[in-house]
Formats: sequence, structure tokens, C-alpha cells
Amino acid sequence: MSGERINRRVDRAQPEALEERRMPRLPGGFSLPPFGLHQSLALVIVCIALWSVGVLWLVLQAGSVWTQGWQKDVRFHVYLQQQDAQKLNALAGKLQALPGVAAVRVIPQRESRDWLADWLGDAAEMTDELLSSLPRTVEVRPAGGSGEFLYDDVADVAAVFGASVNRGEAHLVQAQHLMSKLQNLLWFGSLIMGLAMVTIISNTLRMILLARADEVQLMRLLGAGEWFVRLPFVLEGGLIGGMAGLLAWLLLWPLLLATGDWLVQLNVDISVFVLFLPLLLGGALAGLLGALLATTRMASENTVSV
Amino acid sequence: MIEMRQLMLRYPTGKTALSGMTMSIKKGRFAYLTGESGAGKSSLLRCLYGGVRPSSGQLTVQNVDLRKAGERQVRRLRRDIGIIFQDHRLLFSRTVFENVALPLRVQGWKPDRLVARAEKVLEFVGLKDRLWSFPEALSGGEQQRVAIARAMSTKPPLILADEPTGNLDIETARHVMNYLMELNRQGSTVIMATHDLHLLDTHPGDIFRLHAGALAEELHYVRGGEQ
Repeated sequence: MSGERINRRVDRAQPEALEERRMPRLPGGFSLPPFGLHQSLALVIVCIALWSVGVLWLVLQAGSVWTQGWQKDVRFHVYLQQQDAQKLNALAGKLQALPGVAAVRVIPQRESRDWLADWLGDAAEMTDELLSSLPRTVEVRPAGGSGEFLYDDVADVAAVFGASVNRGEAHLVQAQHLMSKLQNLLWFGSLIMGLAMVTIISNTLRMILLARADEVQLMRLLGAGEWFVRLPFVLEGGLIGGMAGLLAWLLLWPLLLATGDWLVQLNVDISVFVLFLPLLLGGALAGLLGALLATTRMASENTVSV
Repeated sequence: MIEMRQLMLRYPTGKTALSGMTMSIKKGRFAYLTGESGAGKSSLLRCLYGGVRPSSGQLTVQNVDLRKAGERQVRRLRRDIGIIFQDHRLLFSRTVFENVALPLRVQGWKPDRLVARAEKVLEFVGLKDRLWSFPEALSGGEQQRVAIARAMSTKPPLILADEPTGNLDIETARHVMNYLMELNRQGSTVIMATHDLHLLDTHPGDIFRLHAGALAEELHYVRGGEQ
């Protein structure tokens, strides 16, 4: 019995053969740098940041497409009562003289009749009756980039002639101005997000550098130059940023698909492809800058003076 | 090859590691640095590869004055030195090939020549078949042999070994010594810090015994067994 026990103990004491790790090899026999927790975290955080920026730009793109759809339809209509019809040309002349006005057109009564007949459809026999009680109309087309106070100017001129302006049409212009302001804000926001991403990648690479301090130290001991030491980390930063950009771009698609019906209803056609290069290159650039920042001091310390 | 006069090394902590060391090691010699722990062996080796700058005195390694040398000169000097550590300092996330090829890459060897050179030096230490293994799969002795292969891959004129046999059993240590002796026969100057005095019987060389940061004794080996 005891002999059997001893034999079993001896058997257990036999070391198990170590299973060799296999890693995909790059051309030249080199393997990819280890991809661990630090890299994964940086990838996820930068991806989320880039995705947020991407979503904001998509929203802005949708808003722009939406308001640009109105751009060609933006008109101010000034209404003058029939009894004041003799002032119509004078009103048109004053409106034309306003800065920011591209064109002014007095709508002929014939055109109004046709439009009204079309609109009334089966009740077209009422057209003449209605037309006699409708005010005369002057159409004002704003010039591109006209100031946000154009509506007020038009309203002031109209008031002088006892005319009125369609108020709802002013909202379209205000929406366009809002989009323009949002675009400027978004540029600023993207810049801030970019700086945040640079900092995140820089800090992550600092942690990676700490984890791989032995590798850096060894390279220094072997006489490696500054860029020989820095380059792998700089490339790694660029790669992480680029991968995060690609991932963020891919994650925009589910959002687009989910809101597809809604966008079709609004007649808004947006393209995610436009954001592919900005996200990819923006991510890679943020990664490269972050890595450069992280490795600035690392490689310059070559020898300890005592 | 190596000249030092009144070499002094004081760490920022205030500890004096070397005090007034004067010695010279000629090209092609196999030199042992012996002495008790804290005698200054490792500090001296660190000075020799430019890891620390001496506080005072004079130190010249391969015609480079290490007290005055700039960073570029130190880097260039290091490329001419093979270093072997007690803990071998292999990169465990890299294959044996990548470890051995690292000094070659630092020296700008073309990628297509790396595998052939790595195979050659690994053949010398009997590990050609482990080219694509990771160091974790190797035994302690094999890891130290990879470290030797890495140190010799660029055919450096000077090899510094800091207790390379410290963690090895006698038989493996003897094999490691054989490899170092062979490198010395091929022309490299070898300077080795060690505690294992019994190795000196089977693998003779010049002995520099350090004590309290100074040279206490110097014995030069003359072929034929006379010292």
C-alpha cells in the first residue's frame, strides 16, 4: 500500500510539459506587440469619444440637409390689402432696396388665380369670389447668407405701407442661422474632444510604457537611438486611434439604420461614408499625437548622472 | 581596452559604490570581477556600459572617455558591448528570435539577414530549434543561453556579464562558462562579475577582487596555468 502511495506521489511530481504560446507572425519573423487591458481600454474610450463626435456631425449633417431643402423655398410673402393695391409697386421698390434681398416679385393676379384654383380643386368656382377678397402679394427672396434681421427689416417696410408679413416663414431663416451657429460650436467641440482623446491615449501609453519599462530599458542598454525606442509606441498609438476611428464609424451604421424611417419621412438623405476618413484619420492623428506626448521624456533619458 | 584611474562613483543616496578604483583590462582578456556583495562589481559594470556616470576619476572604454562622452557616444559604445545579466532580462512577450534579433535591429541590420544570424548564434548555444519559442517555455539555463546568444549576436568586441551563472546549477553554469570562454577565444574581451569562485578552477582568467568599492587584489592569468 505504502509503496503504491509513494509511486503515485512520484507520478504527480512529474512536471507537465509547457504548452508553447503561438502568436501570428508578421513578415520578417516579428510578432505583433501584446494587446492587453490598457490598449483595450484606450480603444474603447477613444471609440466612444469618436462615436459621439460622429453622431453630432451626423445630426448636424441631417439638420443642414433638412434646412438646405428649404433654402430654395425660403421666401417672405408680404400681403397688401386690395384697397391699397396702388402702393404695390412702391412697396416692391422699397423692399428691393433692402440689403440682403435677392429679388422681389409682385405676384400677378393670374398666377394667384391658377394657384387658388389648383388648391381649391372641386370648389374652383369659388376662385373669383375668394380672389377678390384676398390681399395682393409681394414675394421677397433673401440673398444667400442674408442677415438674421432681414425679416424685421421687411416687416418694418411692410408696416409703413400698411402691409403684413407671413410670420411663419421667419422661422425657416432662424433655423438656418441656428444650424450655422451649431456647426461652429461643433467644430469647437470636436477640437476639445480631440484634445481629450490625445490626453487619453497619452496616459494609456504612459501606462503601457510603465508595463514595458524593461523593454525600453533593454533597448537603451543595447544603444538604441531615441526614435528606435519611440517609434513602436508612436505607431501603436496611431494604430489604437485608427482602430478606434474605424470602430466608431462602424457603430454609426446601427444608429443610421434605426432612424432610417424617420429620416425618409423628413426627406433627409445623409451619408455615413463622408465620416469614414475623418474618423479614421482623426483617430490615428489623436493616437500619434498622444503617443508622441507620452514618449517625449521617455527616450531622452539615456544615462544616469550621479 | 578599459582604463580607469581613481574612479569614484557615488549614488544620489550618498552611498559610495566605487572609491578610487584604478585598473586596466587589455583587449582579448577574460576577466573576473569577484568580491563580496556590495563590493562594487555590478556598479563597475554599470559604469563600463555607461549606465551610470562616474562621480570623479577617469574611465576609458574602447577609447571613449565615459565622464565626458555625450549621449550619442554612449549609445555608440553600447552597440559595441554585449551585456548578459543574472536575470537575463529577456522580453517574455517576444519570441526567442525577436530577443536575439533586437541588438541587430538596433544596429540597423536589414530584416532579411536577421533570421539567418539569429539561427547561427542560437546554433552556437544549442537552441536553434527554439527560434520561434517564447522564453517562458524555456528552462532557466536555456533562457541564460538565449541571453548569451543575444549578447553575441552583433559580434561585440566587449562582453559584460553580471553574475550570469548566479541562478544556475553547477552543470548548467559550466555550460554557460564554456560558451563565454569560446566567445573569448573568438576574440571578444569578456568581463564577468561572479560569486562562483569554483568556476575559476575550470575556466581560468584574470581576477580582479574588489572590496568595499576598491581593488583589493589583481591576479593575471598566463596561459599554461601560471598566475
